[in-house]
Amino acid sequence: MCGISGAVGHKDISQDLFEGIRNLEYRGYDSCGVALMNSTKLIVRKNIGGVEEFYQKENVLRHKSHLGIAHTRWATHGKVTRENTHPMLSTDKAFAVVHNGIISNYRELRSKLQKDGVKFVSETDTEVVPHLMQKLFKQTGNVEKAFVKMLGMLEGTYAVVLITKYHPDVIFCARKESPLMLGIGDEVKYVGSDFNAFIEHTKNAVIIEDEEYVVLTRDSYTVKNFITGEEIQKPITKIEWDSETSKKGGYPHYMLKEIYEQPQTILNALEVDEKALDDVVDYMKDRPTYLVGVGTTFYVAKYAKYIFSRLAGRFFPSISSDEFVALSPVDRNSLVLAISQSGETYDTLTALKHAKAKGAKTAAIVNVIGSTLSRMVDRVILQGSGPEICVISTKAALAQMVILTNLAMRLALKTRKMTKKEYNEGIRALKEMPEIIGNVLNERSGFIHRIANNYKNIKHWLYLGRGIYYPVALESALKMKEVAYVHAEGMPGGFLKHGTLAMIDKDIYSVVFMPPPCEKELYQSTLSSVAEIRARSGFVLGIHFDERGKNRDLFSEELILPAVPPLVAPLLQLVLAQLFAYFTATSLKRNVDKPRSLAKSVTVG
Amino acid sequence: MKAVILAAGKSPKLSPFSDTRPSPMLNVAGRCLFDHNLDMLRASGINDVLVVVGHKQEKLIQQIGEHRFHGLSVQFVEQKRQTSIGDAIMQVRDKILPGEYFLLIYGDILTSENIFNKTQQSFHSFKSPVASICLPPSNEMFGNVFLNANMRITRIVEKPKGNEYGNYVLAGVYVLPEAFFDVLSKHKRSMEKAMKEMIDHGLRASMWEDEWLDIVYPWDILTANSILMDSWEQSTIAKTAVLESNVTLSGLVRIDEGAVIKAGAVLEGPCSIGKGCFIGNNTLVRSYTAVGNQCSVGYGVELKNCVVQDHSSIGRLSFIGDSVIGEKVDIGASCVTVNRNIDWKPVTVRQNKKGLDTGKPKLGAFIGDEAVIGAGNMIQPGTVVAPGKTIPARYTVTNR
Repeated sequence: MCGISGAVGHKDISQDLFEGIRNLEYRGYDSCGVALMNSTKLIVRKNIGGVEEFYQKENVLRHKSHLGIAHTRWATHGKVTRENTHPMLSTDKAFAVVHNGIISNYRELRSKLQKDGVKFVSETDTEVVPHLMQKLFKQTGNVEKAFVKMLGMLEGTYAVVLITKYHPDVIFCARKESPLMLGIGDEVKYVGSDFNAFIEHTKNAVIIEDEEYVVLTRDSYTVKNFITGEEIQKPITKIEWDSETSKKGGYPHYMLKEIYEQPQTILNALEVDEKALDDVVDYMKDRPTYLVGVGTTFYVAKYAKYIFSRLAGRFFPSISSDEFVALSPVDRNSLVLAISQSGETYDTLTALKHAKAKGAKTAAIVNVIGSTLSRMVDRVILQGSGPEICVISTKAALAQMVILTNLAMRLALKTRKMTKKEYNEGIRALKEMPEIIGNVLNERSGFIHRIANNYKNIKHWLYLGRGIYYPVALESALKMKEVAYVHAEGMPGGFLKHGTLAMIDKDIYSVVFMPPPCEKELYQSTLSSVAEIRARSGFVLGIHFDERGKNRDLFSEELILPAVPPLVAPLLQLVLAQLFAYFTATSLKRNVDKPRSLAKSVTVG
Repeated sequence: MKAVILAAGKSPKLSPFSDTRPSPMLNVAGRCLFDHNLDMLRASGINDVLVVVGHKQEKLIQQIGEHRFHGLSVQFVEQKRQTSIGDAIMQVRDKILPGEYFLLIYGDILTSENIFNKTQQSFHSFKSPVASICLPPSNEMFGNVFLNANMRITRIVEKPKGNEYGNYVLAGVYVLPEAFFDVLSKHKRSMEKAMKEMIDHGLRASMWEDEWLDIVYPWDILTANSILMDSWEQSTIAKTAVLESNVTLSGLVRIDEGAVIKAGAVLEGPCSIGKGCFIGNNTLVRSYTAVGNQCSVGYGVELKNCVVQDHSSIGRLSFIGDSVIGEKVDIGASCVTVNRNIDWKPVTVRQNKKGLDTGKPKLGAFIGDEAVIGAGNMIQPGTVVAPGKTIPARYTVTNR
């Protein structure tokens, strides 16, 4: 997903353009670029990084202009480099283009152009557009004709916006299956991926549909069908909603949106570059490995510790990034694998710098491409979860757990701890998970909501789990703390009777993460923790898989999940616990997406 | 956008209160439910309201009046025979222009925050038909919705039995296109089947997270009352209200014009006292009590979590708790609505010869309009008194 913005006006539009593209940053933010018209010359600035960072670094706002286009990019595949950043230019620098979508026949077009002697500077599909324009303009001598002809040659999906020095007062744009919209202001006309590109300036929008192109000037807009050439009268739509709502895709909060996106992020996590995984596995094979993260990602690392032990028979200690330097366990033979959504977490960067200084190999699982962490490590796995806007991490953490599970299975396969058959079974279980999560979200939300609402005033929660369910308990408790501001403490089930049991009374409530009954020993020992609490008239909410079990009477309340293989059972419980924290927070009217005392990426030490 | 409110139904489960009025005409937390919804519609930018009426329509039309209501244009459309929801919707077919979208509202739903605003916002951002959805305390009575990640509704399961579903349910607020009438008539006015077809065309969900209630049973009126009172942010006492000495107020209290509160009365908020009410000496009005307009409450009465409609009177030294009292009800002196069973088992309410388990450990009586309760009656928990019924007084000593 990318964001497009453009503006043409009677006055200087550089500030409007900046605001427009900044408001589209939720569509992606790994690199950014602008093209501005300066009398009959195009000024192009672009670089990797977020919009504000880019504008500041390049001092873009010092260029004034009455016409310009901008682009913010979110690469899901491929590299984030300055060359690959939009706008793309033709060789003669007469045409500048921004694009959202995928031109499926670009290889073909590219090799044809290359035969004509055109030199390409980027690896993108987009670059064929300006080069084609240059060529077709030479043939027709008319920009609009060339534009229509060019559109006829493109296959795939696109929203494309073009400016040219031959028409310094006009923006040309067109769409096919990627979003595009005009904003009709009095002094300025806008174009954008959605109305967030101009909502601050005008509420009058014209929605562009498939196979339509637009000639946009500061006073008028003409819309035509680029197949039939027919002109189309487009009504102005009044935008009556606020931009926040639309960015959230109709969800009340980003957190819920991102929880609902988890089936997709898991699919993406299962499709990460296999070579990137194997490169890390190669490092792990004969190196002591340390798993590093902080906050949620520390619990992800703890989770991975159990997974590597269980599947690959290896013990990889997990260390909270902020404590890493104090422990300083590394030397030139070790590997440090860092986990971070933003790739900018100060504590994690510090830990990795320390590891590098000691000569250790480094690797990372990161969501944001081009982040500091992704650039500083030897090997990087990009999790491809898409932008995570809510400060509370949900989908990114779950995707990291899936990738680490896959990594452990690959290591086990390589070291012959696992057969190919077992590996395939594991992958199948992971692949079935998105659908199950989708069902759980649909069919369990009401139960979770009811319980959250009934117990919203409980001040203290104990979250208990044994084995791999222990890190799930920790992460679930953290969700509760950070979004609902309710005290929740994660603890191993067996630890309880060594002191903490003294705290149990009718005011302390517990959540117990029950393993599936097929994990007999773990199941029985977890059950004994439940009995210990019940014996002291403590309240227990059981999250379990045991639809017809005879032990159900033990729980004061229960949330039942469908039977799944043990490999994915803890992940399913985590989804439930995320919703439990979410509904507790909404019942308590908390500011879900921006909880107090927390920033999206903690870049301070 | 035009709004269509469905207010024609008989709502038999809301008896005895629906016997004598359309359910939106109930007074709750000091306001008529219908007015409350009109206020929210106006605040959400709606100008034109079509109301489908039928059962006891004169009551509604008389109070609201045709044409303009505080700047809203209100039109009434009659549904002659109250057969189905689909049929009710069809009554407004010729009032909606081709290509136009309209906001459809079930008249008996209640929210404290503006659900109409939210539904319209969702419609504008999806640019497709929208159904509002919410999470109710129980799923059995509603259409259970399955969603995908893009908030598209993929399936609706109507009124599932048992306790298997914890889905979001249809909240009774929609934005639908004029073409929906064609879909409805194609499916013989079956709302269920028409919605199924809408799903195939693309129906998006608008998630509602605040309180939501479908007023089905008489005890739901008490829940509605508490939901609205919990949304209050301030007390209001009309200039013309008279508060004598030693009147104690605590919490959020609303007292309307011309009400007289006699000396020694205690009002614990949230509670509301309607226009021209008389509240006798030493009366205790406890929280979540709503007394309608022109009511009279005698000396030493205790009121607790109850809703009293207009023009009723409650005799001295009575207790009314967890109860709903209709309009023009006359309750004699020393009457008590007993509000729990001796063993604390949930109270059962008899309706149409069936006992309904309310699940509520505390519940009093439901007394229909114009009923007369003679002095000295002890009323069993969950009792329903039909409108206009007279219950003789109970004397322990008589002159015979």
